[in-house]
Amino acid sequence: MDSSVIRPELLTLSREALAVLTPYFWVLAGIVITMLLSVMKVMKPKWPVFFVSVAVCIAAAVASAALAGLPPVSLFADMMISDPFSNFFNVIFLVAMALTALVSLRYLDEEKLQYPEYYVLLLLSTFGMMLMASATNLIVIFIALEIMSLSTYVLVGFRRADRRSNEAAMKYFILGSAASAVMLYGAALLYGTTGSLQLSGILNALKTNAAVMSPAFMLGVWLTAIGFLFKVAAAPFHMWMPDVYEGAPVPITGFMTTGIKAASFAAFVRVFHALGYGHGLSEAIQSHIHDILWVCAVLTMAVGNFVALTQTNLKRMLAYSSIAHSGYLLVGLLAAPGNANGYGPVMLYLAAYSIMNLGAFAVLSILAGRGDSGLNLHDLAGLSQRRPWLAFSLAVFLFSMAGIPPTAGFAAKYLMFYSAVQAGEVSLVVISVLCSAVSVYFYLRVLVYMYMHQPVGAPPAPRWSIWAAGTVGAMTVLTLQLGILPSPIIELVRRISASFA
Amino acid sequence: MAWFESHWLSTITFLPAAWAFAGLVIPGTSKGAIKNWTLAGSIVTFLVSLKLYGAFDAAGAEFQLLENAEWIPSLAITYRLGIDGISLWLILLTTFLTPMVILASFNSIESRVKEYYFLLLALETGMLGAFVATDIFLFYVFWEMMLIPMYFLIGIWGGKDRIYAATKFFLYTMVGSLLMLVAIFYLAYQHKLQFGVFSTSIVDLYNLQLASGGFWSVQSLLFLAFALAFAIKVPLFPLHTWLPDAHVQAPTAGSVILAGVLLKMGGYGFIRFAFPLFPQAVTYYQVPFMILGTIAIIYGAWVAMVQPDVKKLVAYSSVSHMGYVILGLFSMNAIGATGSVYQMLNHGVSTGGLFLLVGMIYDRRHTRDISQFGGLAKTMPLFAISLMIMTLSSVALPGTNGFIGEFLILLGAWQAVPGLTVIAALGVVFGAVYMLWLVQRMMFGPITRKENEELTDMSWREIAVMLPLIVAVFAMGIYPQFFFNKMEPSVNRFLARSMPTAMAKARPPTTVAVTEH
Repeated sequence: MDSSVIRPELLTLSREALAVLTPYFWVLAGIVITMLLSVMKVMKPKWPVFFVSVAVCIAAAVASAALAGLPPVSLFADMMISDPFSNFFNVIFLVAMALTALVSLRYLDEEKLQYPEYYVLLLLSTFGMMLMASATNLIVIFIALEIMSLSTYVLVGFRRADRRSNEAAMKYFILGSAASAVMLYGAALLYGTTGSLQLSGILNALKTNAAVMSPAFMLGVWLTAIGFLFKVAAAPFHMWMPDVYEGAPVPITGFMTTGIKAASFAAFVRVFHALGYGHGLSEAIQSHIHDILWVCAVLTMAVGNFVALTQTNLKRMLAYSSIAHSGYLLVGLLAAPGNANGYGPVMLYLAAYSIMNLGAFAVLSILAGRGDSGLNLHDLAGLSQRRPWLAFSLAVFLFSMAGIPPTAGFAAKYLMFYSAVQAGEVSLVVISVLCSAVSVYFYLRVLVYMYMHQPVGAPPAPRWSIWAAGTVGAMTVLTLQLGILPSPIIELVRRISASFA
Repeated sequence: MAWFESHWLSTITFLPAAWAFAGLVIPGTSKGAIKNWTLAGSIVTFLVSLKLYGAFDAAGAEFQLLENAEWIPSLAITYRLGIDGISLWLILLTTFLTPMVILASFNSIESRVKEYYFLLLALETGMLGAFVATDIFLFYVFWEMMLIPMYFLIGIWGGKDRIYAATKFFLYTMVGSLLMLVAIFYLAYQHKLQFGVFSTSIVDLYNLQLASGGFWSVQSLLFLAFALAFAIKVPLFPLHTWLPDAHVQAPTAGSVILAGVLLKMGGYGFIRFAFPLFPQAVTYYQVPFMILGTIAIIYGAWVAMVQPDVKKLVAYSSVSHMGYVILGLFSMNAIGATGSVYQMLNHGVSTGGLFLLVGMIYDRRHTRDISQFGGLAKTMPLFAISLMIMTLSSVALPGTNGFIGEFLILLGAWQAVPGLTVIAALGVVFGAVYMLWLVQRMMFGPITRKENEELTDMSWREIAVMLPLIVAVFAMGIYPQFFFNKMEPSVNRFLARSMPTAMAKARPPTTVAVTEH
């Protein structure tokens, strides 16, 4: 493409393009309105900002859901695409955002952190995620990643007076920037060797010109992969995660485990698809990518699960469990080209994981004491007698994370492992299930404290709010429903995956 | 009513759970109402399940009372139910034991009553579901779901080390079953490769042809994945170590259900899945498994002999008795297999009864130390009689149910591997030694401790718990043909399937003739 020619037609949007951009417009409008509201000193902005941010998320989620059935529409000169895949993820991000806002309301009041900027940053981060899932150009992916990450860095450090929160934000920022730089370098190498920043252009170059597959290209693949592996906290790039998760405010931790992970995997899927994985292009690149991911997946599952065994703080434990879940997701990514369900298992897993994690963190934000204290295992002793329904919900989420029927986590795991067996990854699946057997131990330990220990002392009064309680209830129902009747969503992700490839 | 006519199995399976959910409206403070409600639910379930006996036609199709509904069509996973002559009896055993354990818990469980009875009924649904499922994936779901209530029953209402025992129980079972899950996926995929469609229905999977020969063959590895899950559940030596912990720590009801039904799940799994799916592998592993079964018989008996804790003694006797089940199954002939199925039922009745009796004495004395007792026959004659009967059933005295099972198993094993049978038969002797010695130390002799002098004998409630079991001991011992009639065609069909074709032709399954006892 000759870049010196100005092509004005690229800057005007067709009616069709405008229609598929609705969700993005909603969120952008939300960002602008909440930003304006937060600088207006004439009134207390808490409620208006809260309602606007939740309302735009719901509106955008509804719009995305409505658009999910439409055929793909390419936008802005192929810079991004609106297809069922991106809309599926948009719904996840927007629901995660809305629920995070609901859970945060009371939490921020209690922590004396009720600043309207919180919601603005959440919306910005969500916008970045939506762009990540729909970008089809390496530069746009990078920009989206930065929009998402920069807002999250601030949110992680939102408890300004808390040293752990500051440390977490700093650590996340420095390591995250380094990872972004590595990824950018990878993108530069990919551009240099293939002559295109477009994902479709890269794939085309690979298909038409065998000489593209040079060591420089492979290095580009490596470095790009490292950028993503860092974001999803896959071993050995997971070091930042436990500290960041522990330091961040509880609702933000929940938001990160779902939103950032889902967004990174969405972009990861698109990029890996474009880098020639699973097109039968060349045995060399195929096995090269396969082997990297294989080792990463095994390491990630092992590190996540085994280190989680020793954690006594729930937030840290869930951080390691989140690492482990990234490992399972890598199994799905690895197996995607070789089975009939494609990337469907990865999508279902991310949806299920988001549901149970948002629920679990909603419970934690209700239980947390001042400064996120009271989240150690022994603080949960006897919870089932003090707060039976809260304990029941957390038990459902934990069983779901452990992959025990009848929960969403079980449905997600079996679709994933079933697909991986079809792709011939039997040894990897055996390792995965053994790791998940290990994970049962630390999930059960929480149940032990909640159900089998007697309450000790007077724990902090739970921070009930109708919003947070509603979130917990809805996620519990959804977790069980997806576990008992998973058929509709399995159909959905299979359809989307088929249209994607 | 028409719906019920075509959905008997669903009705029976989900009746306890539905009953449990309905019971949630009873406030937790009215303990009596909760107990009676739960008891009523389990009795109704039992009465409804009796319908199965009449409805099942032994001469008819392999699986009967079929139900088939779509569940996850995109993965070809179906909600498919059916019973044969083997699962019929295990279902009846489950529904028969549940009212008794509920009644037995009336006085021993005083805290968190509502949750306790809810979990018991939920557990019953899980167990029944595993027995009626004829889709292997559905079976797996029920099999895993059973773990949750059992885990809480042990972990909340158990003894001092209950948390350790509950976690160990959960993890052991989980490790085995996850590998089985991988094998299930592999089988479904093989069905796709061989027949063009995915399927997890076991009737379809029986048709699979899997490469065999040697340890690394597909069939051998898949068999081992299944066998691991089932051997842990049985539990087979050397995977039995979770059992004594779980049994000793669990509340009485938990122990009875564990011994009575959950262990049967392992044997049932071998019969329904591991054997018919991998016939060549079964032949390949026949002798190793028979050796393990024999070791379990002898080892379990020896360890039981030296236990100071009466509950632990009964727990190790379970290891020994379930060793017979494995020995009989792997004999691969009609006599051994029939004996094994029968032994599973016997073990449910007699060991279940022993655990109930141990629970009764524990409620009175709050100790299970054998040396704390002695001469109880004087103060508790009814209790002593009940214990004696259960003991005789456990040591396989002719006229009791235990004799039929063990005799058939040894007869069957003799045809397969005579040498091992000689050793296994010694287990009968050891069994008599530890059980009779136990009775002697607890029941007879002088009363050495003052506390034992004021013990009250069995109450009407406790008699009501034990009486059906005592009747069952003699009924099964004197007229086994009643049970064999419904069982036989299914056992023969199971064997015909589980033997590699050549062998099946050379040695047609003989019908069992045991009526002359």
